[in-house]
Amino acid sequence: MNSLKSHAALILALISILISIFLFRLFNNVLHQYQQNILNNYSIVIVSEKEINHLDIKEIGKIEKIDISKQLNSMKRKFKNLNLASIKMPYFYKLKLKTLPSPQKLNEIEQTLKSYPYIKRVLTYRSSQTKIYNLLMLLKITSNLFMIIIAVLGFLLIIKQLEVWKLEHNERMYIMELFGAPFWFRGAALFKIAFIDSIIALLSTFAIIFYMQNSIMYKTILKDLNISLNMNMQQEFLILLIVSFSISLLSSAVVVIGRNK
Amino acid sequence: MGVLVEAKSLYVGYKNEPIIRNANFKIYTKDFVFLTGVSGSGKTTIIKSLYGEVPVLKGSLNVGGIELNKIRKSKLSYLRKYLGVVFQDYKLIPEWTILKNVMLPMLIAGIDKKTAEEEAMKLLNKVKLSHKLDKFPAELSGGEQQRAAIARAIIHDPVMILADEPISGLDEYSANLVMELFIMANREKDITIMIASHYLPQTFNINYRQIHLEKGQVYELS
Repeated sequence: MNSLKSHAALILALISILISIFLFRLFNNVLHQYQQNILNNYSIVIVSEKEINHLDIKEIGKIEKIDISKQLNSMKRKFKNLNLASIKMPYFYKLKLKTLPSPQKLNEIEQTLKSYPYIKRVLTYRSSQTKIYNLLMLLKITSNLFMIIIAVLGFLLIIKQLEVWKLEHNERMYIMELFGAPFWFRGAALFKIAFIDSIIALLSTFAIIFYMQNSIMYKTILKDLNISLNMNMQQEFLILLIVSFSISLLSSAVVVIGRNK
Repeated sequence: MGVLVEAKSLYVGYKNEPIIRNANFKIYTKDFVFLTGVSGSGKTTIIKSLYGEVPVLKGSLNVGGIELNKIRKSKLSYLRKYLGVVFQDYKLIPEWTILKNVMLPMLIAGIDKKTAEEEAMKLLNKVKLSHKLDKFPAELSGGEQQRAAIARAIIHDPVMILADEPISGLDEYSANLVMELFIMANREKDITIMIASHYLPQTFNINYRQIHLEKGQVYELS
């Protein structure tokens, strides 16, 4: 029963750490995808007196000329007396950005654009962009904080478990030490427990992830947000495998090294 | 007989407080030595210093060619593989069977499990515990546990066995049996034996030397 408790304590701690790491990566991926979606649909509109092919602003990824012929034709039909040929029409451009800018950054871009003498109007749609940006940042910070708290709790559980292990294995390791047992021999039983527990924790974590990813709610949310995740699950498995083994084996090594004299 | 242990102007103790002061003694190969003295005289300290558990504060202590005042931890493990240690409280691993406990030094030495098992069974037979090999230490009497501990101490043919009060707390029958095992190890396997004890056994059919401790001072009596 005690042994079962001992296993459960480490497994639960590892699961909480692994899930928090996975969710941390998942949330960041989702947020990144969502930011990309917003970015694809977002652009700054400028009105210029002359044609622009290049602007010396590093945040700008692409300059697209807005075709206004449709609007001009419509105007021609509405205002038949209007002689458009006599009017020098300005040029309209959509500026696509490389990353979703913060409100401060957007302000800087706006000011830089306005400093060009031939740019007459700059439309940044700052108000709605700022709201979205702040909302995303709030989500990111909250989710990251939540994951960190779960991971810290997991680590605290492991530290507690280390104390239990020290008591459980101290005598055996001491006796082995008296007969000249090397480090790996003294810790063999602990390393075995750690290895088995990390495998169980890893498989349990992936079972939870698999269940979550196949849940209708999860799929619906991603579909509604128009997000297609590009997470490589083999890579995620490898990352969690390394984390799981590292934590459990390191914990057992700490117990073997820090054996009470 | 060659010198196996040599202590020169030796001070040993804890946290710079010497328990043994200015000790000079020699132990030779195949020696049978009794380390005597009243409680608190430093017998256990001497025994512990010989397997490196109590640090040398001053002077020199050489065990099997290894200077214990300069020893590194890795070298200590190496030294301990050539020693057998027996304790008053047996120090058997409680969650292991008697058979596995006896196998321990051979497993540490890297000998395969089958050979270690065969050797342990032979020894358990010699110490009259062949019927208890699957039992756990808690299921054995004090005398039986001590016999198992001696079997563990001699299984890997150490150069020396260090025994700290191995017969105190045992009944006469068990104490005699335990002493016979030490004699057997000394005679048949040429193992040097050093036994820390309050007193010398009354009837003892072997030549032995006595090192006596009194108030931290060491006297070689015979």
